[in-house]
Amino acid sequence: MGFYFVDPKTYRKYRDQVLELSHAVQVNFQEQLPAGKRQPGLSDSQIAEHLGIKEHVVREIRCVAERDKYPIDEFEAAIRFKNKACRDYAERGMSSVMSKYVKRAKKG
Amino acid sequence: MKSPKKHDFDETDFARAKAEIGGIAKQSGALVWGVAAADAFDDAPEGRRPFDLLPKAEGVLVVGGAQPRAGDWQSPNYQHMEVTTTSDRIHGLALKLARVVEDRYGYYAVCVPPGVDHGQQPFMSIAMAADLAGCGSKSLAGPVLHPEYGFMYFGAIVTTMPLPADSPPGTPACPAPECVEMYSAEGLTPCTRVCPIESGGCLGGRIEGGRIVERQYDQARCATRVQNYWVPGFQKVLGETLREKDSEKQKMMLYSSMFSRTLWSMTYSNVSQGQCAECMRVCPLGRAHRTRQ
Amino acid sequence: MKSATNNAVNEVTLESRTEQVKQFALGAGANVVGVADPRAWEEYAPEGHRPNDILSGARSVVVVGSRGPTAGAWRSPNHRLMEVNGYDFRNDAAIHRVADVIESEYGHQAIQAPGLPTGGHLPPMSMMLSAVLAGLGTRSLAANIILNPKYGLLYYSACITTLELEFDHMLEQDVCPHQMCVQTFRRFGKTPCMAACPAEEGGCLDGSIDEQGRIESSFYDRERCVSRAMNFGINSFQKALAQIVAEEDQEAQKNMIHSDFFSRSCSAITHYKESVAQCFECMRVCPIGRAERKLK
Repeated sequence: MGFYFVDPKTYRKYRDQVLELSHAVQVNFQEQLPAGKRQPGLSDSQIAEHLGIKEHVVREIRCVAERDKYPIDEFEAAIRFKNKACRDYAERGMSSVMSKYVKRAKKG
Repeated sequence: MKSPKKHDFDETDFARAKAEIGGIAKQSGALVWGVAAADAFDDAPEGRRPFDLLPKAEGVLVVGGAQPRAGDWQSPNYQHMEVTTTSDRIHGLALKLARVVEDRYGYYAVCVPPGVDHGQQPFMSIAMAADLAGCGSKSLAGPVLHPEYGFMYFGAIVTTMPLPADSPPGTPACPAPECVEMYSAEGLTPCTRVCPIESGGCLGGRIEGGRIVERQYDQARCATRVQNYWVPGFQKVLGETLREKDSEKQKMMLYSSMFSRTLWSMTYSNVSQGQCAECMRVCPLGRAHRTRQ
Repeated sequence: MKSATNNAVNEVTLESRTEQVKQFALGAGANVVGVADPRAWEEYAPEGHRPNDILSGARSVVVVGSRGPTAGAWRSPNHRLMEVNGYDFRNDAAIHRVADVIESEYGHQAIQAPGLPTGGHLPPMSMMLSAVLAGLGTRSLAANIILNPKYGLLYYSACITTLELEFDHMLEQDVCPHQMCVQTFRRFGKTPCMAACPAEEGGCLDGSIDEQGRIESSFYDRERCVSRAMNFGINSFQKALAQIVAEEDQEAQKNMIHSDFFSRSCSAITHYKESVAQCFECMRVCPIGRAERKLK
């Protein structure tokens, strides 16, 4: 029997919904926002109840989907992003991030 | 609004501040300490000098200690030191001192990571810093050795604080007089005899006039010993295991003591760092401190 | 019914006991400390992730925060330096000492709240929420990081205990956005953190600030942030391993196993300090706590 893992068919069926209901993308998360506006993600048991499937299945789908959302290329791209951002900031400070928007505002 | 001044020391008396910091280092467990001038790292490759880690760096504070104990060296079980030697304690001390420099004296401080940057390169040579700070000198076997204490681990803190710099030792600790004597009789020192490069080991060299004039070091072979079970060992075993087509044999490889040891070593890497110390075991430097009842 | 005198004595005892615990926490290495009411989790955390789900009878949650990288580390042009060296777990060390002293000196149960993830990214209890509820900071636009008014970015640990302590409350004044960020948003449509990592250009952040200078909306792509903040570690190891195992060319497979990327991934698994935080770009440009990082 081996160790538990989610079957690909179940994963494909529920992946997008589980990811959307979870904390993978966090919109209006701040505690200081009005209660009606705040959108905290759901726990695994809350998602399970919402979708009508078992909690451990939700957990498994969520774990795989979190890994699956972006390809490994994104991890390589992250190295280039950070290297550039860090070095640019060391050279130019805040203008390294803001100058583009300042120019846009001037043009606009 | 700026924070109020955190520190209260005489900014014309950096010698005194240096002594205070050294006092804290010693109280916290350092055996030796010193300061290397930030502009003394000419021999370091570009990108690996103090200024590359911290702009406007003035100096590098070095602390040494956390040696294996006298009893550790005596154990006939070579595996004992594979799972007990670590630089973590001295790195923890270096982190503490970095905070002292910043919080008490108000200067920037960066603790040099003991790990590696891209391409397996160190961020900065802590060994070079130790040498320049007068904490020891490079040896034939490789590690920086202190004339009295011999082998130890080092930590380094790059800082903008203009602490008075120390100098490298005038006379290198290695080779020790006993090694010079042995070399003239046998053409070998204790370390090159225990790990001879011409017989599948890592070390070789020549001594003339009591000084090292040539050194041979097979770094790749040394890594197979010092990092016997760590990431390089894991990667090798993984490669072999993946190539195995027979699933029964593959299972044997996955469950093997070798593969298990690599995983243990990776998980407990904070205590499983130096997995070969044979060249240091036979080194006469610091021997007086490795003698107990 | 208790007499007024007894009430006064009990209140002083509660206050002084709380102060003792806090002073101990600060002496143990914390930079900030607060106490939260376990009941406060009911509004913000789902069942199963509240203090009483971890320790029955919990009456207080002591939360500590400590700094990560040194001020010097923030100035390094080498981003890898902070990735490998930016964390010394002082908050964990401090909270362990707090838990020890509560059990040994006050005779009450005390545990370190479990903050490490146990299912994907989800921990049993959120340390960030704990910090908010203990009044140590407010959630920001920058990756929902909790910012302390004095120090900015801190790392938090919590101790759940049956010892009754006096509670702190959520901060009334939002730490984020800083006045400077309100101005840059109004003029240029971006705060510095959003400009450093804009969602519309493959980054993680977006949001808006209202007329009163408060957060109006926020967007945070956590999984993209993971590719940056957990660049090398469990995630990259699993993804690289999937590719390695699927590779049929043995030479190519060998090169993948011994690649710098896979080596760094293995190293970050082994040296857990290397796995904690590997992207600081939104915090690098954040003005909050900057005064604390301005040295000589």
